[in-house]
Amino acid sequence: MRPFGPLRGGAADAARSLVASARLAWAIEGNWAQPVYLAAFLIVRPLAFLGLFLAVLSIGGSLNVATIGFVVIGQAVFQIVSAALEGPTHALLDDRERYRTIRYIFATPSSLLPVSIGRSLVKASIAGFSALVVIGAGMLLGVPMRAGGPDLLLFAAVLPLGLLSVVGLGIVLGGLCVQLRNDAWSYPEAVSSTVFLLCGAIFPLEVLPGPVQNIAAALPITWWIEGLRRALLGTTSPGILGTMPTNELLLILAVGTAVIWLISPRLFVAGIDRAREKGQLDQNTAS
Amino acid sequence: MGSSVVGAEAAALISRIHEETSWSLGRRIRHAFVSVVARAYPRVIGAAREPSWLFFDLVFPILGMCSIVFLLRSRGVDEAWIASTILATALLSFWISVVWMMGAQFHWERDSGNLLLYITAPVGLGAIALGMAIGGALGVVIRAVIITVAGVLLFGAKYQVADPFLLALVILAGVAAMYSLGVCLSSVFLISGREADHLGSLLNEPMQLLGGVYAPVRSMGTVGVVALGILPLAPAIDALRQVAVPQLAATGILPVGVELLILLVMTIVFGVIGRVLLAHIERVGRAGGKLLARAD
Repeated sequence: MRPFGPLRGGAADAARSLVASARLAWAIEGNWAQPVYLAAFLIVRPLAFLGLFLAVLSIGGSLNVATIGFVVIGQAVFQIVSAALEGPTHALLDDRERYRTIRYIFATPSSLLPVSIGRSLVKASIAGFSALVVIGAGMLLGVPMRAGGPDLLLFAAVLPLGLLSVVGLGIVLGGLCVQLRNDAWSYPEAVSSTVFLLCGAIFPLEVLPGPVQNIAAALPITWWIEGLRRALLGTTSPGILGTMPTNELLLILAVGTAVIWLISPRLFVAGIDRAREKGQLDQNTAS
Repeated sequence: MGSSVVGAEAAALISRIHEETSWSLGRRIRHAFVSVVARAYPRVIGAAREPSWLFFDLVFPILGMCSIVFLLRSRGVDEAWIASTILATALLSFWISVVWMMGAQFHWERDSGNLLLYITAPVGLGAIALGMAIGGALGVVIRAVIITVAGVLLFGAKYQVADPFLLALVILAGVAAMYSLGVCLSSVFLISGREADHLGSLLNEPMQLLGGVYAPVRSMGTVGVVALGILPLAPAIDALRQVAVPQLAATGILPVGVELLILLVMTIVFGVIGRVLLAHIERVGRAGGKLLARAD
């Protein structure tokens, strides 16, 4: 047991920290406005995103429902990806820069790792509501969902694996960004935007330049989105994504998630320790 | 016991106080001009001193532009739309600056403590807002140029500008109207609490959709027509598309001349409304003691 640091105590302590931070995250993320305004915000922005992409797609002629379905699921899932990737960094920076409470969290028996994961999961859950809104809008536009309802078995396997992999990448970013001063807020968004470009959320991977396609195929997020498309739409995507058998897709996702979780806590701990050694952990940079 | 001032000495003192506090119109204009330049200076020079700001100001729009270009290519559309997307992204960098560096600025200044300095300095918030607008626009010009050049190099876009003067006029009118709206937005952000960040987010993608930034505003139907009258992005990008990408001129919803007129009217109307709103919120905020209260 480590007496100090970002990962200490037993599993029960970690679980308590995670629950407490999740409740705190809900208080921060969920009560900045009246519920009706909060709901409007969670509905308007993702729908505007979807509308923007569909408007662009419609330049190429009338849209078929399969194309709309491809974009709808990609756009919906990416709401969660974006929130989970950016969540840990924003939580750490919020506590350091805005609320100036990181030193107090560090002084409690809580560990920063479960605290960051808890904050990230709540952000992802709130984004999940936006994802449902986008999927609902897609259904209103006539997107044909899987006959007989979603493939629950596949959904239950893919959803937690993908979510874990994204949160794992998010905490790596958190451990990295807490060591930065300038523009620490911007790095997760830059990573998220790059992943959006690469992961086949709104267009098939074949459109990307050749070498970039290989990078895209190596991202677990790419296969997460494809897995959820198969579970919800019951069809495979066009091109490379569609050629992968579902069991192999699950294997790639599982291996990718395992590798991420083998590495990410260590990188997070190393990042927090380094920030602490350099006196940056609670340094307000007014950024 | 303090000494009293009487006679000629008192008259001289009164005259001096009068001279220093009753400014002529010319002096007020000179003072406002100096204030505007002083606030614009850090926007242009300060921003250039921090390379990471330039990097992130470029990387986000370019990544967004790439997403839209690949989306268009997945549909095999005319390459003219790629050229239009690049221009739209460059224009969008001004809009993002309007939302975050103009609209949200006073809100951030309040939370960081700088608004207190503005309020106590002998400078009006209007002059500061104008300085932010001019400096912001000048600072974004270089970013917009880099985005356009990057887009041309990455995607081989081609432009046929028959009338460069008209193109410059469209850009100038569009930018002026957007920053005028930014003065109005700064008032709204100033009375916002924790919802300010979310408000800023709502002014991005939804406005890109309503403004017909990447797809013609015509595709939005009646909503698009309404947007042409109230959202500077809409007439600006529509006119820009017609002037710089003639293959897409047929997608224009109004003639370029009319859209220039709309942008001019927007600049004046938003400028006046923004000035009045800012003065009102400053007055009410002072009276209520909430002008400098942090949001969180």
